[in-house]
Amino acid sequence: MATASRTLVITTGSGIGTSIATRLRDRGDAVVETESSLDLTDVAAVSESLRSLVGSGTVDRVVLAAIDPSAFRAAPITSLTEDQWDQAAEYSMRAAFVTLQQAYEVLADGGRVVLILPTVATTGVADLVPLCTAVEAIRVMAKAVARRWGARSITVNTIEVELAAFMLGDDVDGGAGAAAVPVVPVLGQPALPPGSAVDDVLGLLDMLATPAAAAITGALLVADRGTVMQP
Amino acid sequence: MSGLQGLMDGRVVLVTGAGAGVGRGVSAAFGAAGAIVGIGVRRPEAAEETAADVAAAGGTPVILRCDVTDAAQSAAAIAQLVADYGRLDAVVHNAVSGRSSEATDFENTTLDEWEDHSSVTVRATWRLAVQAYPHLQKSKGAYLLMSSPAGIEGSERAPFYSAVKAAQRGFVRALAREWGPDHIRVNSVAPLAISPALENMKVLEPERVKRIEGLVPLGRLGDPETDIGPPSVFLCSDEARYVTGQTLVVSGGRFTSL
Repeated sequence: MATASRTLVITTGSGIGTSIATRLRDRGDAVVETESSLDLTDVAAVSESLRSLVGSGTVDRVVLAAIDPSAFRAAPITSLTEDQWDQAAEYSMRAAFVTLQQAYEVLADGGRVVLILPTVATTGVADLVPLCTAVEAIRVMAKAVARRWGARSITVNTIEVELAAFMLGDDVDGGAGAAAVPVVPVLGQPALPPGSAVDDVLGLLDMLATPAAAAITGALLVADRGTVMQP
Repeated sequence: MSGLQGLMDGRVVLVTGAGAGVGRGVSAAFGAAGAIVGIGVRRPEAAEETAADVAAAGGTPVILRCDVTDAAQSAAAIAQLVADYGRLDAVVHNAVSGRSSEATDFENTTLDEWEDHSSVTVRATWRLAVQAYPHLQKSKGAYLLMSSPAGIEGSERAPFYSAVKAAQRGFVRALAREWGPDHIRVNSVAPLAISPALENMKVLEPERVKRIEGLVPLGRLGDPETDIGPPSVFLCSDEARYVTGQTLVVSGGRFTSL
């Protein structure tokens, strides 16, 4: 059930964002996706890219799944240089600001913005301090934006998935990238049987696009099959 | 604040942004607890009142030039405390951007404004942690971040402030796990307190302040020294030896669903 007529997907060129774009396209949705080479913190470049992708019209939905890959490298904070900290933690926060700000310009009234993030910041993970820092910042930035954009009937929500699903998307069972996924301590095993996180997210995207979800904004939807169960 | 007496006797604490508001009040509370209080400020002349508060409360004030956006200054402030007193038991990072009370026009502002917030609240949070780490490891000390309810619920008026304060909460949870084996505790406080800006508002717009106070179940805004100070001292003291990775919301009940 696809109810959003045109979707802009903003990604770093890999992981769940790219898988979502592919799957939406495969089922016939109109999708535009940012190039993997785009510097998401470059205001002019992002503005030009979105205008070029969207043309003179607007989009009804924006999906933002963009965490810099350097944030996934596990390391104690005391081992990071200032540049490494900046890239792993602060780049993604700046990217969230710039892309949300520029997406606002191409988003139709009544549109839907959905951010996809990994669940790590809910519990905190040792050696992933930059990632947890960035994720929590972006999640609350989305809440603040939800409050601001409500007057245009735009909703802004966040979906969180397990880290491996976020990093690898549909490739999560492929094995190639699995070795690079840091170990994440969890409070227990998933309550539900294994399944596709991409399918799970697609279902929520569809739900959020319906008129019935017009009153849901600033919310966090955790699609991790009942692993964290917080907050 | 007799309940604080002796909680931090002989302990050495650095408080950033200690010249006014919550930083000044928290410094005085650490003084009442018997601490040697490093009063970190950008302009030392702005720290005299805080130093007097700390001394009057029974603590030992040490005024330190500490613009937290300047790596050399924060390193020097920590080094001076360790050189003069032999230890560092806690760092309270309270400093915020000078623009933190301004509204942010998210749709039209620039990355420069983001950097104003981020450099003080995100970058310095990381840098202070790295600079203090060997000393806190030795003392089995505490790192306390002054976050905000805005960093939990998100503020329409202050999206950048909200985001950077939320960043601190993610940082706290993760670093608490990372530093747990070193017995360094990492927590944050999310206060609702009278600030210099609110003091001005009390004079200029008393009705507005009354409306804000009406939203607080306890009927008033928190006092930096007597309401925010004691929980902050507690979290840095041995009494909180089993508390880490937490955000304590100190808001008179204003925020109950966070």
